[in-house]
Amino acid sequence: MRWRNAWIVMRKDLDEFKKQKLVIGSIIAMPIVLGVVLPLVMFVPMVTIVPLERPWDVDGLLEIGALPDDARAPWTNQTMENTSFRSTVISHKILKNTHLNNCIILSCVLDNTTVVDSTIQNSSLSSSFLNNVTVIRSEGTGLDGRYVLAVSSNLAFTKTKPSEIDQVLPLMFNMVLMIFIIIPATLPTIIATYSIVGEKNNRSLEPLLATPTTDGELLAGKIFSAFIPSMASTLLAFTLGVVLLDVVLIPKVAYPLLPNLTWILSILLLAPTACLMSVLACVLVSSKVSDVRAAQQLGGFIVMPVVVLMLGVLSGFIFLSPVMIFVFAGLYGCLDIGLFYFAKAIFNRETILTKWT
Amino acid sequence: MIVCEGLTKTFGSITAIQDFNIEIPDGRIFGLLGPNGAGKTTTMRMLSCLIQPTAGSAHIDSYEIGKKEDAQKIRGMIGLLPEVPGLYETLGAYKNLDYYAQLYGIPKTQREESIKTTLTNLGLWDRRNEPVGGFSKGMKQKIAIARALIHDPKYIFLDEPTASLDPAAAKMVREYILELKSQGDTILINTHNLSEAERICDTVALVKNRTVKVGSPKELARGLFARTISITMQKIPPSLLKDISSLDFISQAQVNGNQLVLNVRNPEEDNPQVISWLMKQGLQVQFVTEEEHSLEDVYLKLIEEGGR
Repeated sequence: MRWRNAWIVMRKDLDEFKKQKLVIGSIIAMPIVLGVVLPLVMFVPMVTIVPLERPWDVDGLLEIGALPDDARAPWTNQTMENTSFRSTVISHKILKNTHLNNCIILSCVLDNTTVVDSTIQNSSLSSSFLNNVTVIRSEGTGLDGRYVLAVSSNLAFTKTKPSEIDQVLPLMFNMVLMIFIIIPATLPTIIATYSIVGEKNNRSLEPLLATPTTDGELLAGKIFSAFIPSMASTLLAFTLGVVLLDVVLIPKVAYPLLPNLTWILSILLLAPTACLMSVLACVLVSSKVSDVRAAQQLGGFIVMPVVVLMLGVLSGFIFLSPVMIFVFAGLYGCLDIGLFYFAKAIFNRETILTKWT
Repeated sequence: MIVCEGLTKTFGSITAIQDFNIEIPDGRIFGLLGPNGAGKTTTMRMLSCLIQPTAGSAHIDSYEIGKKEDAQKIRGMIGLLPEVPGLYETLGAYKNLDYYAQLYGIPKTQREESIKTTLTNLGLWDRRNEPVGGFSKGMKQKIAIARALIHDPKYIFLDEPTASLDPAAAKMVREYILELKSQGDTILINTHNLSEAERICDTVALVKNRTVKVGSPKELARGLFARTISITMQKIPPSLLKDISSLDFISQAQVNGNQLVLNVRNPEEDNPQVISWLMKQGLQVQFVTEEEHSLEDVYLKLIEEGGR
């Protein structure tokens, strides 16, 4: 394989591509609409409708308030650790790593304790989880829980369940990310399906095939000439999308969320391998049909492996973690190599030139 | 040298060319003549290693057509002008030529110089960056010919090189082909233009899905037709036709106005006897010329016979 020849073929194809203003327009517009405008349409209303204040996230917290001035830390004289109590009255104890269910807790210090269906009075709490608990004249920090009735107490819930926006963002990010994988797999159907059958129909293929260029060089040139604009356009939309999404979301989350590791790995590994797979399949189809429209129709099926991934992600069967991205990128990469050698093996100058049906 | 022996190509049940035999020595112009569908383009494509022969063999120098390892070498030695120019219509003439020059591995400075010279000679240098899609058919054909020759190939295959050219441009191309021949290039031409083939081809092969006849245009004509002389006289008496037909070396005689047209065996020997006989009859001979049969006559006769 003389890469120089592949490079020459690619540059010529790109020169031709540069003259196709409408095609360039659609290649740029499609990623921007799908990868920038559509996500903004999804995120902007969410940011606008969801209140700016982070919601109080302890379900059923009925009251909070300051301790009275005469409140003091409870007196304790015994430490109880790593144990569990049910239907017990506990007073003047230090409870660490315990689980209390249906208890009355009086003048205790609770650390790293789970309290369920209980009442706590005159106690000090830290790093504990409360569920269906009434807290009277007590104080606490680093708490988490739900259905807490706090009476004359000062409780600080620092470890909370995710807010609505926190819950919805990963799902939406995954959806948007899948758009950036679908786009580079779809764009080549516009360019690559034309690559060989287009030249055949224009009758420019015969003199080209009569040059000493090998099948591999010709295919490689055609592949890269479809791959480069597709990926360039995807990267442009990706950059624009990331910046604009951050701009929209920063008021809500206070710091830039994107691009995170998953996004970076996806755009650097998954998108190019998916794009290459699509290009290879389109070029392969283009070398086997005699009509550009037929090539484009068949090209539509080519994005199926990527659609499978998308459906998997959206249905929750597949979570796009960095490891999963490596797995899929590896899979797509292997398919790419296999497709290239398959396309090379079935590339037949005679059939291409003489078959018109 | 190009040698084809029993070259055959079939597409399913259709035989494009069968048992095709030719030998083209270096530095010659060889014409393939035949009706549409006679297998001329198929033959050229086989020789260009674009399609594989079904049977038989063909060699260009020591390389064999249809042998995978030789295909690249052969493609490097030939320059092909297909039936349709097949240019990249959105690109300029310069880029069209530069693309092929690069694929043939011509160094940058050399190809820049070569393209400039070519386009200047074609009168296209000032329009080198205009999309060729806007050019006339003739212009496109000229660029396509230049493309086929950009790497100075030893063997040049031209499929209908002057088909879409105006007479002046066609003349220019013919002169260019003869110039290439004088440089030692070997040229194979597919053409329907019989007068063109007659003018520039050293040898022609009449093809109709097989080799009908091979030879120089003159050889073919002489082999097919009796030689004809035309004698112009002041006056031709009515009885002359009957009297002169009795001479044993005259196979056919007819009168056209004041011209006596005779088919003879050998004009070099027979003409003096005819003139002497006419003078003995008291007739005055003004001119004696030999009528030559055109390649068109040969073509029509042979292709008709070949089709039977």
